Amino acid sequence: MESLQTSTESIFEAFLDYSSGLFLVLDKSGRILKANAYAKQQLGKQIVNQMFDRIILDFYSTFELSAVERELEDSQPSDVVHALNVKHISGMPQTYLFRFCFTDKTIYAFGELNNDELESVRKEILGLNEELNNLTRELHKKNALLEQLNREKNQFLGMAAHDLRKPIGLAMTYSDFLIEEAGPILDEEQNGFLSTIHKSCVFMKRLVDDFLDVSAIEAGKFDLDLHPSSTFEVLEQSLRLNQLQAAKKDIRLKVQTPQDIPKVMMDASKIEQVITNLVSNAIEHTAPQTTVAIELSVKADHLVFSVEDEGPGIAPGELKRLFEPFEKTSTKKTGGEKSTGLGMVITRKIIEAHEGEIWVESVLGKGTIVFFTLPMTWRGHG
Amino acid sequence: MIAQEVYDQYFNALLKGDRVRCTQMVQTLLDQGIDIQVLYRQLFEKSLYQIGEMWEQNLISVAREHLVTAITENLLNLVYPFLFSQRKLERKVIISCAANEHHQIGGKMVADIFEMNGWDSYFLGANTPTDQMISFIGEIKPDLVGLSLSIYFNVPSLQQGIEAITREYPELDIIVGGQAFRWGEISFLKKYSQVQYMKSIEDLENQLKKE
Repeated sequence: MESLQTSTESIFEAFLDYSSGLFLVLDKSGRILKANAYAKQQLGKQIVNQMFDRIILDFYSTFELSAVERELEDSQPSDVVHALNVKHISGMPQTYLFRFCFTDKTIYAFGELNNDELESVRKEILGLNEELNNLTRELHKKNALLEQLNREKNQFLGMAAHDLRKPIGLAMTYSDFLIEEAGPILDEEQNGFLSTIHKSCVFMKRLVDDFLDVSAIEAGKFDLDLHPSSTFEVLEQSLRLNQLQAAKKDIRLKVQTPQDIPKVMMDASKIEQVITNLVSNAIEHTAPQTTVAIELSVKADHLVFSVEDEGPGIAPGELKRLFEPFEKTSTKKTGGEKSTGLGMVITRKIIEAHEGEIWVESVLGKGTIVFFTLPMTWRGHG
Repeated sequence: MIAQEVYDQYFNALLKGDRVRCTQMVQTLLDQGIDIQVLYRQLFEKSLYQIGEMWEQNLISVAREHLVTAITENLLNLVYPFLFSQRKLERKVIISCAANEHHQIGGKMVADIFEMNGWDSYFLGANTPTDQMISFIGEIKPDLVGLSLSIYFNVPSLQQGIEAITREYPELDIIVGGQAFRWGEISFLKKYSQVQYMKSIEDLENQLKKE
């Protein structure tokens, strides 16, 4: 009989040991005398001999076993449940539902995970994951559709701009020709009409050229014709185009460059387009009889180019919009010049294609500086 | 073709719940230019069937099976940039899970197979109420509806869905498929003339290629 009892106890103990619940035996002071294998696995082997309240995270009140004992005087052990946050060996606390049983010398504590709660959380997370994945699928699908529409838009833009270029060019040339040849025999009003036609044609041609550039960039057909080029020559050529514009507003172009700069790998015509555009912008935004400063320097393995004007400056909130298509800042051009809203977009794309960087610094009332860099060690792609 | 060794490594990582390793492996296969249909059949479908069998034999828990499914569903997102950029036909399909059917990954993969074959697919997700599905069919006007079923005891829901569709749209073709029919009876489908059973992704692909 005795051996059967011993055997039953040992079987019972073995089950307890491997059950997925924390089974702890404490003395009356709350010291852990014994812990089942699962408890040691979850909380660490060192829990034996620790005080019970040391294994729980108690944020706002102190958990007291004596209070539980008083509670149990009027209730069944199965009715008194305490949800306690236990310090898990992984470092992530886990909430166990604890039940206690008090005898003369010993306290038995049994903690189990709230499976219903875990199950509902698991279901919710799985549901959220599915929902998120369905949305991601939808997003990819919409994205592919948008990309297709964008390609079609660029194709249309490219075709339209290409077809418009020739008639605009003809109208521009002939209006220019008429101003020169027929100007002297026309009256002031008629000359004014011709001048407006010519200016509009110049603007339209610029717009069409910008459209063609943007459409090529967005269609990924923006190829660089890379050669080692002299930065001085590129700068000189660009400024030659800007001189006339500056002279009309009596603006001085102040150029500062170092003595010697080695040739740099670049698409010279595109960098010339960038410099012309930046200097032209500076001239347009600065008042007559002021200075636009152009500076070229070498910093580490980069060429740094800057254009500084004495214009009204750009508000900090508008700086980030400067490189967005068709965005125009509130800064007015001093000579009433028109902008396509694409120049800075194209400029940035050209610089980025050269693996350079472009940025703007501006102080309201003082002026704006546009910087760009070109890596001197870059050999180009492919 | 996915080498057995690669499949085994992937399957072991999946079974362990190693999402990062699985992601790396699928990304590597995509970078190597693997055919997406091969990826679906020989990696995703094969591993999910194997996991399903392990679950049926009590070799893994429900939680483990759900984890594996969730990881696989996340991996499908890696494929989408390639999937949706393909040439489109003028054909639309709605894929849905039957009402009360909470397993959606099979249906989603079927929707993706249609995309790969140039169809415009609309995936409605798990446990789609029949009335919502009917109203979506009215809105989209698809050429075909696909219903997915993973658990055989949801057959009444599937039948309810089929009957509701045929009542509203008697001419509309329907395909059904899913894990539920691997061991289950399919003869009840014979009474619906416009319903066709698809045994596997491969069968579906063969059918789509014939059209």
